Amino acid sequence: MYSRNTTVSNRTGLHARPASDFIACASKFKSKITIKRANEDDEANAKSIVMLLSLGLGQGTEVTITAKGEDEVEAVDALVELIDSKFGED
Amino acid sequence: MTYSGNPVSPGIATGPVFLYTPFKPQLSETHIPADAVEENIRQYDELREKAKLELDAIRAKLETEDPEKAKIFAAHNDILFDDAMDEEIRDGITYDNFTPEWAIQTTYEKFIKILSKAKDEIIRERVADLRDVRSRLIRIWHNVPEKNLSTLDKPVVVVAYDLFPSDTATLDRSKVLAIVTEIGGPTSHSAIIARSYEIPAVLGLRDAMTVLKDDETVIVDALTGKVMTEPDEISLTDYAQKREDYLVKGADLKKYTDVTAITKDGVRINVEQNIGSASATELEGATCTDGVGLFRTEFLYMGHDQLPTEDEQFEIYKRVLKAFGSRPMILRTMDIGGDKKLDCMDLLKEDNPFLGLRALRLSFAHLPIFKTQLRAAFRASVVGNLWIMFPMVGSMDDVRRAKAIVNEVKSELRAEKIPFSENVKIGIMVEIPSIALISDIVAKEVDFCSIGTNDLTQYSTAVDRLNPNVASYYQTFHPAMFRLIGQVVRAFSAEGKSAGVCGEMGGNPLSAAVLMGLGMRTLSMGIASVPSIKKLVTGTTILQLEKLANAVVNMSTASEVEDYLRRELASVL
Repeated sequence: MYSRNTTVSNRTGLHARPASDFIACASKFKSKITIKRANEDDEANAKSIVMLLSLGLGQGTEVTITAKGEDEVEAVDALVELIDSKFGED
Repeated sequence: MTYSGNPVSPGIATGPVFLYTPFKPQLSETHIPADAVEENIRQYDELREKAKLELDAIRAKLETEDPEKAKIFAAHNDILFDDAMDEEIRDGITYDNFTPEWAIQTTYEKFIKILSKAKDEIIRERVADLRDVRSRLIRIWHNVPEKNLSTLDKPVVVVAYDLFPSDTATLDRSKVLAIVTEIGGPTSHSAIIARSYEIPAVLGLRDAMTVLKDDETVIVDALTGKVMTEPDEISLTDYAQKREDYLVKGADLKKYTDVTAITKDGVRINVEQNIGSASATELEGATCTDGVGLFRTEFLYMGHDQLPTEDEQFEIYKRVLKAFGSRPMILRTMDIGGDKKLDCMDLLKEDNPFLGLRALRLSFAHLPIFKTQLRAAFRASVVGNLWIMFPMVGSMDDVRRAKAIVNEVKSELRAEKIPFSENVKIGIMVEIPSIALISDIVAKEVDFCSIGTNDLTQYSTAVDRLNPNVASYYQTFHPAMFRLIGQVVRAFSAEGKSAGVCGEMGGNPLSAAVLMGLGMRTLSMGIASVPSIKKLVTGTTILQLEKLANAVVNMSTASEVEDYLRRELASVL
């Protein structure tokens, strides 16, 4: 299992297109991947747009991304990088 | 017969009714035989592919015409292939032996419930998207072809219970004369699309599907929210004319949206916007207004079962501040009372809620909630030009108490080393007559005020503006109101401070003209009123408006005032 924290910093947060890009990226990996608010327990399947949206991760939210599987390190690193890149906004 | 609903998108239209009943299957729990699992999984995969093809076709059609709308269907595609839902549907077929249809129904229902609980309204609205995709899947399962508003054969008035996003997104604008639905309000999806397409819409018309008959001619007056059946010749001609006038006027007014509001004799008027949320649509007004004269924050508390946290408020306030850059953003602290029901707070049942423990008084009685809002606001102040305004101020005691709490909040933030702007202006709503009458004193201790003319009129003329029995007693043009407002403006002006308006009198050109003549230089209004006010401003001189005001404050009745104003201002209306 591999985990990393980062902060959602793009203006629109993990909604709409960024959410779409996020799950598209997550879906490329074989590992089971989850995302949650850093300080809470409720986690969501990072490959599910509906679960992701229900978390409502807005700008400024600190999140923890966890993956378990053969490509867990690449998966988490890729997703953290995607969030840090602000999805091409600003 | 005349029926009433909520006018959410202005305009007038006359045409035949088209009763739109989207596919609505009756579903019940159905099972497959245990050995048919593989076959049914295959059918589910096939079903998804067919749905995907439909979505691809719609997207292709929209990519060129309306890329924004195409995004809706990209999102639908994501939902269609959602990992979590897919797993549940497959499990439903494999382990519970549900038919694909029932597995889809129950899985989508479960996730609809999850999304419905989200705090963010934007997310809750995605429930409509889930319903839409589910409906599409089940429709295809039953081999029913896509019937939608993109294949209308003649111009019609579309009448429905409600419209799905895919209905409104694909409708043929050239054939939809108006929209009438049984449910929905100004912020619903249908309303937003209707407004952006400039299609007249009346929502929330009870039993529309039953009382309106397919193909009968109706007149939809979406300026007043009325739908008329069996119109006679006179009505038809009347409304045809009204429609003409409305369209001509609308086209004319549009030209004024982006102009700078400066009178013919060079006096600059601040035309600001009233907003009631931080939605992207409302913030679009930043392109044509001089700031936010009233940011109503009640939406944070209403319709939620939990109080908004400091961080949630912080994010929202920052968003609004950023949208308006260096222009003033006047945030009004929570203005709620016993006339409303809150899920996140226990409000007392009062006999006279408008004279009761509401707004600032409620904030004083719930200091932690009040301070949370103030903390969030001050923290957000670093990104823009924040002004804070207190509602329902009736005395200097209220003013001083509120300011003391502000100072407490600032000390606390300083001690916690949390940055905030030292330039936040502190002001009040003038809506209670007692504070208006001592405005010379209050102007010394606050930075600005904004006159809430709706409530000021209500309290001054002793009329409940929501009571239809006394509607005629509520007089916007009562001469007393202009005298009182003039007094406030002069008192604040003497201290070099701004007295603006955020009530309806500011967005109505007739009354706004008098307010400017009384010395007011800041008017805040709903975005829809901006063009007509700018037209007024750029078409007159302050000298003319001062003459107008002087005449009005010496008149004896509201009707005298209104008639006079209509005559004098005819050329700039």
